[in-house]
Amino acid sequence: MSLLAQGLALGVLTGGLYALLASGLSLYFGVMRVVMVAHPAFLFLAAYLTYTAHTVFGVDPFLALPVTVPLFFALGVAVQRLLIARLAPENVAMMSVLLTFGLALTIEGLLGTFYTGSYKSISMDYATRSLTVAGVHLPYDKIIAFLVAALTLGVLFAVLVKSRFGQALRATIQHREAARLVGIPTERVAGHGFGVGLATAAAGGTVLALITPFFPASHWVWIGKLMAVIVVGGLGSVTGAALAAVLLGVVEGVVLVTVDATWATMMFYVFLFLALLVRPQGFFGGRLAHRF
Amino acid sequence: MARVSKGLAIISLCALALTACAKTDEPGAAPSPGQQRGPVRIGVSLPLTGDFSEPGKGIQEGYQVWADRVNAKGGLLGRKVELIFRDDASDPNRVSSDYESLITQDKVDLVFGPFSSRLVIPAAKVAESYGMLFVEPAGAAAEVFEQGFKRLFYAAPAIAGDHYDYLSDYLTQLPADQRPKTAAYASLDDPFAQGTAYGLRDKLAAAGIKTVVDEVYPPETTDFAPIAAKIAAAKPDLVVGGTQFEDSVGLVRALQELKVQPKLAAFSTGPTLAEFPAAVKGAAEHVISPVGWSATATFTGNQDLVKRYKEMFGGDANEDAANGYTVGQIVEAAVAAAQCADPSKECQDKLTAHIGQATFDTVVGPLSFDDKGRPEQAHMIQQYVNGKVEIVLPEQAKTAGIVYPKKPW
Repeated sequence: MSLLAQGLALGVLTGGLYALLASGLSLYFGVMRVVMVAHPAFLFLAAYLTYTAHTVFGVDPFLALPVTVPLFFALGVAVQRLLIARLAPENVAMMSVLLTFGLALTIEGLLGTFYTGSYKSISMDYATRSLTVAGVHLPYDKIIAFLVAALTLGVLFAVLVKSRFGQALRATIQHREAARLVGIPTERVAGHGFGVGLATAAAGGTVLALITPFFPASHWVWIGKLMAVIVVGGLGSVTGAALAAVLLGVVEGVVLVTVDATWATMMFYVFLFLALLVRPQGFFGGRLAHRF
Repeated sequence: MARVSKGLAIISLCALALTACAKTDEPGAAPSPGQQRGPVRIGVSLPLTGDFSEPGKGIQEGYQVWADRVNAKGGLLGRKVELIFRDDASDPNRVSSDYESLITQDKVDLVFGPFSSRLVIPAAKVAESYGMLFVEPAGAAAEVFEQGFKRLFYAAPAIAGDHYDYLSDYLTQLPADQRPKTAAYASLDDPFAQGTAYGLRDKLAAAGIKTVVDEVYPPETTDFAPIAAKIAAAKPDLVVGGTQFEDSVGLVRALQELKVQPKLAAFSTGPTLAEFPAAVKGAAEHVISPVGWSATATFTGNQDLVKRYKEMFGGDANEDAANGYTVGQIVEAAVAAAQCADPSKECQDKLTAHIGQATFDTVVGPLSFDDKGRPEQAHMIQQYVNGKVEIVLPEQAKTAGIVYPKKPW
């Protein structure tokens, strides 16, 4: 019983992390119908930059965020305006897979060149301790990851719902032509939307750097998991992705402690297939991102 | 994109190679005297990118250090050694086509093996089909030796299942009151990693040490806390991880977070890498690992390897580099004995026959092989003692006494 509670608690915390890592993916799809295979590669690019900040300047990993978040926002705008906006609109989904796959390989190659292929890691003192509540151990690094995820998603959500930019972005997501008719510069808004998505990768990468060692090819294992999260959540729905992330995190944790790790990893794909068979629009989202 | 176009390039190269061979390939034909005086060209495909890029590069460096030494003293049979590297991106399909084209198109004189059992098997199939000798640095899983290969030799002290032999002997010979009673095993779903952990598990289980957790996780696993939770619930005396690097670090961190304090913690591969102590901070102390090579050992050529590596690459040599170097040493000795280094069947047969029956002095100690190409020696056991890597088993090689039970992490 206590093992089950432990699995559940760890699942919720890990789910928070998944939500943070997948939120950008959801946004790209919502804004542009772009399948962004390079998102995990950008996560690890952020992890490496955080590593540099930590080892060279000796600062706490989170202090790298004020630099990496704007940098990634700018990078996102650049990627959207210079590369993705040039894809032929009739088959953006397909071509964007190829384009961003190439981007992922480029990033991996650059990381390998500059940082070599050896493992890097950031180990803070709090990374191996845990808080014990009623016999359940809650690791501090996972709690921090969860809080960063909650904060980032909170800010993201507030921006999308409250700000003028958010309204323009949502209008662009819902109906690009209509948005253009009422005077929204949809091209620019789409670029900024992409930038926001990549900015979440900066936050996610910092958290990843804290909890796992990484090397240039680390990003491949995350693509499948994160894609499963956004499909189950409903493509393009940020809230849906967050809920699906926590659900899948919990399922993974519980299956892991009750059955085994192979089944736990498989659960992502089981849910992916279930979603595609039963509810292709996702369990939590509206019809293909037409709603938040 | 890059991958697609590279794939196309490989396909077209293969097609070219096939048409080229159709006319000119005469197996067993003696090479012309002109070719004889050229360099000895050795073809290698390695995972220089992708999952195994790190060990792949280590092995490449080992090969390069060996070639550098051989060339410095005049080459093989008076011919310079030239290494031809291909990058298989850790992809088992790519590795086959790489060896195919190295052998048929580049017409290399010899081939050396790639890294990891997963790539060694497809690569050895190609080498075997062309009758090429295949000495490899890193295919230790049991499956490698069950394919019926006749020309494959694994250039390291022991296959996966025997890595922990000295440790299991030590534990089972402890007095009854000190002997551990329960053990938990967690292993990556990988033939080599599982082989190491299961070798120890089976020997300890036979001696009455109960297996309380036996977990296998897929390579995609990123979260080790729930596995550690399972181990925590079983409160084992021993924790054994059949690991590579990230998972060994993930497990150590998660075990600490879930407050598991075993009397002994052993992980394969991870702790033997220089990055390990920094990645787990203070928790490396007293962690145990099987190791096939030690920088301080005085086996034939070892100090030369350490020195030359530092000159060429700046850092400290590691086990992967040593394994690559060992392959070179064995083939070098075989070439000297057979007095030939060319792809003809006659020469490859002679080399293979020699390696099958001789004993070789290498940087990992004397090596000999059984009829399936399995090495017949055992791995040493290393432990972090006072922050330093010490060899603690066996008796005759040890640099410090084994610490058991370990201090809490």
